[in-house]
Amino acid sequence: MVFLYDAETYSYEELLNAISGSGEYCPLFKSKELFPYFANLVKALAAGMPLILIDSDINASEIDGVSEEDINVKKRFEAKYYSSMDDVVAALQQSQSEITIFTSGTTGQPKKVVHSISTLTRAVRQGKRYAGQIWAYAYNPTHMAGLQVFFQAFENQNTLVNVFGKAREEVYQQILDKQITHISATPTFYRLLLPFEKSYESVVRVTLGGEKSDQHLYDAIGRIFPNAKINNVYASTEAGSLFAAKGDCFQIPETIRDKFKVVDDELLIHKSLLGSSESFHFSDDFYHSGDLIEWVDKEAGLFRFKSRKNELINVGGYKVNPGEVENAIMEIDCVRQALVYGKANSILGNVLCADVQLEEGFALTELEIKKFLASQLQDFKIPRRIKFVEEMSLTRTGKLKRS
Amino acid sequence: MKQKVLVIINEIRAAKSLGPVAELKEETRLREDLSLTSFDLAELTVKIEDEFDIDIFEDGLVNTVGEIIEKLSK
Repeated sequence: MVFLYDAETYSYEELLNAISGSGEYCPLFKSKELFPYFANLVKALAAGMPLILIDSDINASEIDGVSEEDINVKKRFEAKYYSSMDDVVAALQQSQSEITIFTSGTTGQPKKVVHSISTLTRAVRQGKRYAGQIWAYAYNPTHMAGLQVFFQAFENQNTLVNVFGKAREEVYQQILDKQITHISATPTFYRLLLPFEKSYESVVRVTLGGEKSDQHLYDAIGRIFPNAKINNVYASTEAGSLFAAKGDCFQIPETIRDKFKVVDDELLIHKSLLGSSESFHFSDDFYHSGDLIEWVDKEAGLFRFKSRKNELINVGGYKVNPGEVENAIMEIDCVRQALVYGKANSILGNVLCADVQLEEGFALTELEIKKFLASQLQDFKIPRRIKFVEEMSLTRTGKLKRS
Repeated sequence: MKQKVLVIINEIRAAKSLGPVAELKEETRLREDLSLTSFDLAELTVKIEDEFDIDIFEDGLVNTVGEIIEKLSK
């Protein structure tokens, strides 16, 4: 059974051999290689040892409380012996390890959050029906989304195919070659796979997370992966997975509905659902998630995400949701990706700007885009300066870089 | 320089379905004569800044074409 396809291929047997009988690991491991990273992770968790997960390209100076000399230092512990992968999975599931992860730091210094196996694997489903799944691994392995996918795949001894940061052609090649069945990634990742050229029948599940997506994207995904069920997930560095998705809506499970509040459209989460962090500020035991939502059916706990609170751009007194404008621009067929942002301006506070990436071989003018948007949006939501770009910048966690 | 400013102003007017202006006089008023709103003026400043690296509204309001040219000539 293959565990991981990367530059090399690694079996579960090899993973077992790397872990069983070894009494040494790195609490603070920095590596560009996925297999050593996962082997270290699994070994530590199965043995109940603490871990701090950092990006393969991070500088210790970028994170408070992490010093360069602690990185990749080995630590000894009492070696454990496992006769099968089943034993390793069982040990991991009962682990008392403390796992420290960091937010991606898009709004300043990365914030540290400490999790347990219980908060990290809340949404993992294990069982016979999950056997044999082949996952495109499209997330950064040191952040929450990547960990969610890892645990789901690992606990069912599924196969992972590393496609994080790979070019479009290569991703498609791997989907075909390895007959990938499951993909979980950000909307930005899926947009980079457009336009539709041919369909891939092996994929049965497409999951989107980390950013708000749109109907246009779902339709495109549906053409590329005609046999796939499409769903969204919500998981934050602070809380792990919290909600079940129903299409592009989410539902707060009845049993924990009292653990949520909505104030001024912002979702507040009770501290009992979070990992622990010094940077969490609570109002009456509730944490401000920074996510703005709108109720679809309040009685049933059904809602939709509108935008991140700090993403709203104040333009001449009007608050603009950049995601809404981006979606409108992307309605235009030859537009592959759009990024809308504010630029400081002495008249309006901010002027709305847009970077637009076109499909290859197409031309479009600023005026044409503005005319189109005038039929879709109110005037203040129309970007005043539109630039055409070859590429978009992404954050560490594969989302569009917004600042 | 005046020509470039004229091009920018006409771009802004085109997006609002207003016809292009043939030429700019010193005393042409941005709001009253060219029908520019505050949003249009904001766009004007951003595009002039992109082109000339100068924020014409930085130290106060600019009301006429002449005042723009003056700021850009500094």
